[in-house]
Amino acid sequence: MFSDLSAQKEGSSLLCRPASEDQGPAVFERTSLAYSPSSERYGVGERSFSRQYAHIYAARLMQMRPLLSERAKEKWGSDVLIRKLCDLETGEQCCIVGTLFKRMELQPSILKEITHKKMKLPHNLLPQPARAKYISETDELILEDELQRIKLEGKIDKNKCVTGSVIAIYGAERNDGKFTVEDFCTADLPLQTARPSLSSDRFVLLASGLGLGSSRADSMLGLQLLVDMVTGQLGDLGEQSGAATISRVLLAGNLLSQSTQDKDASTKAKYLTKKTQAGSVEAIRLLDELLLQLVASVPVDVMPGQYDPTNYTLPQQPLHRCMFPLSSVYPTLQLASNPYQADIDGVRFLGTSGQNVCDIQRYSSMDSHVEILEETLRLRHLAPTAPDTLGCYPFYLKDPFILEECPHVYFSGNAPAFESKHIKGPDGQEVLLVTVPEFSSTQTACLINLRTLHCEPVSFSAFSADEDEESEMNISH
Amino acid sequence: MTTRRGLITDSFKVVKKARTAEKQEKTPSPPPSQNEDQTETIREEELQKLQQFDLDWRFGPCTGISRLERWERAKLHDLNPPEEIRELLQMCTDPEYSQSLWSEYPF
Repeated sequence: MFSDLSAQKEGSSLLCRPASEDQGPAVFERTSLAYSPSSERYGVGERSFSRQYAHIYAARLMQMRPLLSERAKEKWGSDVLIRKLCDLETGEQCCIVGTLFKRMELQPSILKEITHKKMKLPHNLLPQPARAKYISETDELILEDELQRIKLEGKIDKNKCVTGSVIAIYGAERNDGKFTVEDFCTADLPLQTARPSLSSDRFVLLASGLGLGSSRADSMLGLQLLVDMVTGQLGDLGEQSGAATISRVLLAGNLLSQSTQDKDASTKAKYLTKKTQAGSVEAIRLLDELLLQLVASVPVDVMPGQYDPTNYTLPQQPLHRCMFPLSSVYPTLQLASNPYQADIDGVRFLGTSGQNVCDIQRYSSMDSHVEILEETLRLRHLAPTAPDTLGCYPFYLKDPFILEECPHVYFSGNAPAFESKHIKGPDGQEVLLVTVPEFSSTQTACLINLRTLHCEPVSFSAFSADEDEESEMNISH
Repeated sequence: MTTRRGLITDSFKVVKKARTAEKQEKTPSPPPSQNEDQTETIREEELQKLQQFDLDWRFGPCTGISRLERWERAKLHDLNPPEEIRELLQMCTDPEYSQSLWSEYPF
């Protein structure tokens, strides 16, 4: 554990006499790791939006069909009939493979909005404001393959399923044209290359939701404490040597706060907004200064999130280095895409800034972020709801969100709380799932030990203005 | 869309029907030699083959991408697209060959 490392050193040197002349100040070398980024598949070169989204669904089905046929044969016997929907016969037990579609009454539909406007319906029939969940009892599950679609009923929990997941279903077609589900299976985890065993403890720090540029500057002290801890300017020799084992920092999105996305400038009259700057300009300057302190001492990977100045559709492209004049000079600053994939000392990291998880949370009954993470891993797809309810680039050749290799650490940012879980796959894969909490509200970051693949939270709490009693500033592990 | 003042046919391209009518008008005028006739039929056949490739449901949607791109995608996902289509597409750079059946329409 990280806290044990710091506590092991003998005696506190903070309140001692300065060391003698010949001894010199203790210098700790930060462990440097082999790092190879592998996020090229999430880079979108030249962009053409004149395509329809049918291509990404077709590519997804083309890629997943052979994998699902394999899983179906493993689960229900190698002689199971795998049929296309057009070849189905009533009453015959068989397996079908296709993409799920969940028809939801409450799903916001642009057509309904336009109809309401055109017909000038009274106010109580106008579309409702944004809800936390769009599921209801009347939802229907439909399976689509290349040519047809069929309604599903039976032993499948429609509240847990989301549109866009590709699954294999075992059952039979009934007389009324619906398909009765007896069992279903997902593509499950892909193969994993074994990670090398490491000799010493090395840590990677994950943080997200820094929320710079907001009107409430509550988290600035916590943020500065975090930076000081990582750069070794906090604590005595024990803490400093502990901090030297933090070999990489990964910022998983939402570096800017939501309030910088204020669209007032476009709706207000020009004479009111003439001399004002966008909120994000000041926030990016703050971020640059913060990163400058970090990159001078430790390699940092910066992923964009929902409120950051980059494109809206997934995969989000890396933030541009012209926005970071001070920190981009350092080679330790890596501006990464969202989703992010890299090999850090042989341990494969894969993760997003949380948009995919939040979207699944809105359209299913699952609430726990770590449960949703596990579900996406079992479906072998990072963002099944893209492009239906989550913005996505219209790929045509391949669907880059399909997991081809199993990661060792799978994370998502901007979660309401820190959670971690170890899961095992059918072929011996072991994955650590981590939900990185939002720093601006929880003041918590996570440390992952690369040797043992354990994760622990690190929280920084400070004085709160409205407490009367003395409260200690503590850095708890 | 063009911004200059012009004919309606600048914004709305002439529909395909008119084009094939033009073609038919052209061929009977001076008596065509044997060779030209043959190349016409070969061209017709090749275009037919490419149109059948476009409409084949096994290789996914055909709108918005060129035929070669669609062929490459089918090859990548092991769907065994016919090799002769690839050869046809590589030989000819005519937009009628390389673009899909529906490329005239703004999908």
